[in-house]
Amino acid sequence: MKTLILLTVVLGFGATLAGAHFAPGVTYARVPSHTTVVANGGRSESFLIRLPADRIAATDGNAGGMRALHAAGAMQLPAQLMDQPVLIEHFKVRDADGSVVGVAARHWSIDAGGPTTVWSLLIPSRGSVVLRARGEQRGAVDAALRAKGYAVGKTWDGEVRVAMTGNEPGAVAVGSGEFANLSGTYTESWTLAGVDDAGELRGTIELATVTRAPEASAPE
Amino acid sequence: MKYLIVAVLGLLVGAALAGVVLYFNPFSVAAAQPSSTGRVLHYTLPDDVLELALGDDAKIFGQATGDDALWEETIDRSAVLGLVLNNDGNQPVAVASRLMAVSPDTDLLFRGVLVSDHWLVTIPGEGTLFVRADSNTWPFLKETLVRIWYLERPWQGPAEYWPTVGPGADDAGVVVGVAGNFRGREGRAVERYELTALDRASGAALAEGELHLDLPGPQVAAQ
Repeated sequence: MKTLILLTVVLGFGATLAGAHFAPGVTYARVPSHTTVVANGGRSESFLIRLPADRIAATDGNAGGMRALHAAGAMQLPAQLMDQPVLIEHFKVRDADGSVVGVAARHWSIDAGGPTTVWSLLIPSRGSVVLRARGEQRGAVDAALRAKGYAVGKTWDGEVRVAMTGNEPGAVAVGSGEFANLSGTYTESWTLAGVDDAGELRGTIELATVTRAPEASAPE
Repeated sequence: MKYLIVAVLGLLVGAALAGVVLYFNPFSVAAAQPSSTGRVLHYTLPDDVLELALGDDAKIFGQATGDDALWEETIDRSAVLGLVLNNDGNQPVAVASRLMAVSPDTDLLFRGVLVSDHWLVTIPGEGTLFVRADSNTWPFLKETLVRIWYLERPWQGPAEYWPTVGPGADDAGVVVGVAGNFRGREGRAVERYELTALDRASGAALAEGELHLDLPGPQVAAQ
């Protein structure tokens, strides 16, 4: 009997610790990755953001223009940062099929080198990736809409495409998980289909990435 | 029958002993500590929170998630936090986005309950930093969620936490300069926070946090 007690106590102790070590149960649902191989050997993958559904929040600073107008979802900056050239936006991110796969932060700011855009994407089932590009000019989306006839306070329907990365693609800066050690480029475009009378944007943001894994060293 | 009952009781006692070990967790890695030469950015909760969006399964204290809930199955254990960061003089100098997700590397025995924490910090006029840190939330959870929320014990605070346990060298977080003056620089990052008030009845909590950045170069060392 004593042996049985000892054995079962040890078994219960060991099994619980083993379970805590090997099976804490943290996994994320994953949808298939929609990647294609491009001619130069890289891997192409696009991420989409549907506006307004996927917008989580944006700062309300003066640099944001229409993208920072709304009281709902606005991140209210302290007075000391209101006039700073910085716009922070948070989104949900979808794959090319439209399934939500992650969350993202977009930081636009101006420093001595000019405007810069940095994206941080977190896809819990895969890892994270940071993208960096020369930023769009301040108010680029507002200007593009006005050029197509949008007037403040009025609804607008149409189609306008704004290439936020311009003629020069951005770069993959750093990554983790499946995105660790990848190099590559990306482009960001906003295709806008409408604005409501409160200034809320409807449209799609597309981040089109082409990434490449580091080449394995040649066998000797 | 007697042997079966003894066996079940033995297993339960063993599991309970293991539970005690896991609660106090003497095997978990030590948290990283900051160097003495880095830059420190400060925040207070909830005053410096710009926005918090929580996954449905990340609501450990039963918070309301409002319109920004991350309800989709792929992100339901994630969170998005917008923060204002202050300098040593308590003046706002930066805005941070924190994208967080419970880490699949969670190991209750040796590492703790890990959260993958991705900071994107923009300091206007200076540039943008990316910080990746593994944060062990177990010390915080066992002293608040378990002890205060579930066991309804009185809070013994204030309590200080150093959650950073990786993924960089010496268990610190990794900071990478992405844009502006910081571009091309790499270093280490460590977070510290102190829970200064906690009231279970009202659900109110106050905390003061610090992000210690050690990024080689004069731009970061300067205040």
